[in-house]
Amino acid sequence: MNGMSLRAAARRRPGLLFAALVAPGAVFITIGLLLPLLSIVVFSFWRTESYELYADWSLNNYFTLLSEAAYRIFFLRSLVTAVLVTLVCLICGWPVAYVIARYGGRYRLLLVLLLAAPFFTGIILRIAALQALLGPIGLINMALSIIGLNPIEALMYTQLASGLGLVYLFVPFMVTAIYLSLVNFNFELLEVAKINGARPWRAFVEITWPLNWIGTAIGMILVFIPCLANAVTPRFLGGPNATSFGMSLSQQFGETGTWALGSAMGVFLFLASLLAILCIAPTIHLKRSGFTGMAL
Amino acid sequence: MSTGTLQLQAVTRRFGSVTAVNKIDLEIKQGEFFALLGPSGSGKTTLLRIIAGLERPDEGRVLIGARDVTDLPPYRRNVGMVFQNFLLFPHKTAAENIVFPLRMQNAPKARRDEQLKWVMSLLRLEGLEDRYPNELSGGQQQRVALARGLIARPALLLLDEPLANLDRELRSEMEIEIRRYQKELQIPFIYVTHNQEEALTMSDRIAVMRNGRFEQSGAKTEIYTNPASAFVATFVGHANRIDASILAIEGELARIEWGGGILLVPRPREANRGASICYFIKHEDLEIEGGAAIAPQRDGANRLTGVLRDIIFKGQTANYIVKLPTGDDLIVSGTPRAATVRPNDRVVVRWPAGSGSCFAGSNQ
Repeated sequence: MNGMSLRAAARRRPGLLFAALVAPGAVFITIGLLLPLLSIVVFSFWRTESYELYADWSLNNYFTLLSEAAYRIFFLRSLVTAVLVTLVCLICGWPVAYVIARYGGRYRLLLVLLLAAPFFTGIILRIAALQALLGPIGLINMALSIIGLNPIEALMYTQLASGLGLVYLFVPFMVTAIYLSLVNFNFELLEVAKINGARPWRAFVEITWPLNWIGTAIGMILVFIPCLANAVTPRFLGGPNATSFGMSLSQQFGETGTWALGSAMGVFLFLASLLAILCIAPTIHLKRSGFTGMAL
Repeated sequence: MSTGTLQLQAVTRRFGSVTAVNKIDLEIKQGEFFALLGPSGSGKTTLLRIIAGLERPDEGRVLIGARDVTDLPPYRRNVGMVFQNFLLFPHKTAAENIVFPLRMQNAPKARRDEQLKWVMSLLRLEGLEDRYPNELSGGQQQRVALARGLIARPALLLLDEPLANLDRELRSEMEIEIRRYQKELQIPFIYVTHNQEEALTMSDRIAVMRNGRFEQSGAKTEIYTNPASAFVATFVGHANRIDASILAIEGELARIEWGGGILLVPRPREANRGASICYFIKHEDLEIEGGAAIAPQRDGANRLTGVLRDIIFKGQTANYIVKLPTGDDLIVSGTPRAATVRPNDRVVVRWPAGSGSCFAGSNQ
């Protein structure tokens, strides 16, 4: 269909143009996202033997997942890490986003673009670079040994190091989400609150926080979900006792070749992420968030 | 000792090289409705923000109820403020918006409910408690904003062009309402506006502000009838402006030639023969009648003859635009039924000699 006839068709039936615009994206999502996801769900009920998949339908993989202590530990470790990393990102991200949005002035855009600077290189490189900071011969511990102090063991191949890596990787997402919310926030409302007797912290609690809660919640989800599935930072920074759920999952598809079990882990992770979103969704009350873009 | 009054002592605020507020002295009494009238950029909003504590003065002191609040933040000043764009909290209902100041004072729930009920009925907002701001009309939003400003019974209510975003009809209704609240509550109101009609309708006293200074401050009738400067004369009321130079001095009057006739106008202080002056005479001070030219100044009145160019009918009044032989226009305001003149008629415009206001210099 050429442009002219498309336009002519659109004039006759406006729905057609809309459909034509939506179709490419819809097809891509269906083929690229939903179908593989569906196959994972199917595989999770199958069986792997000697790197081969067999369509023997059973719940065995889920049984293994729930009964073996190792998987439980991996999952809890990932969960606790994801929660803590999300909180740290929240606490570090808010002031940065606030300062950029409120006081950034004409440098606002530049400062936000700087947040994207880490993405100019690959994720592995960035994590490896963190080793040069935290590792045994990294900047911190080298400096300590030069001045005659003991190196900080907690930073060398530990869960703490892995968590720090995660914070470093994900804090830009948090800052961006909060920033995008704050640029649409009317700071004059804070003056109103102050005239009406609110001290600065009270004005924050009453006005700033609730009116930017949607952006904050999106930031939290953007950090929490990838952290829960994270496999990279424990591998490079975490050492032997930091195996995460995501790391174990990737091993099922790699070294051990137990794709069916790996698929079950994937489904489990998917459900956990869904649960996290469902937990945060009820806190979002469109009117209570000052959301006005809806015809009521 | 009166409480709740505001006192400004030589308050000055500069932004870079611009002096937005320049050594302002002001005293506001209990129960007074005070209007700050001025064009945009005259510093009136800055002055209001200094009183609110949102802006710190570079020099001078601010006293509220005999207490020096210059160094206090807004939340310790006990003032209410109403803004042009309402600035309601979008995530709170009307009732939550209104009780906000009392909640910040940690007032007990019983008192909050009682005050809420009182202010809702004062402002005729009953039934709108649970609406969110975007579910309210402009007028309702402004009333909620007023209720929020009044509920804690502040020492002072500041209003920053609160009616500018409302349509004309609603505005004149609200003007009368706001004045009623003020008279009922006896809280001093400081009302910033660039709209002279609002200032004249609502206030007891007006200060006309220009370039960070008070050009004139006084009772509104005084400002209206006796403007202290050419600027005030232009800004308050509707006046014809006449630029001329003095032909002769006759005691308290000066003789000028303008519009094809000789006029007697008040003599500006220290203005002598030959000095250029600008003279203002309000539209409603002029009278119009049909007829041919009569000898000028027959009965001590100023008279000019011309041709009626157009009648602008405004309802209660009409503006008669008279074209004078020199090409200048003169506007006469009167009741539309009183005059029987029609466009293109020859008319005479008449007013008492020596009325109006006259200022030396013509460069303003």
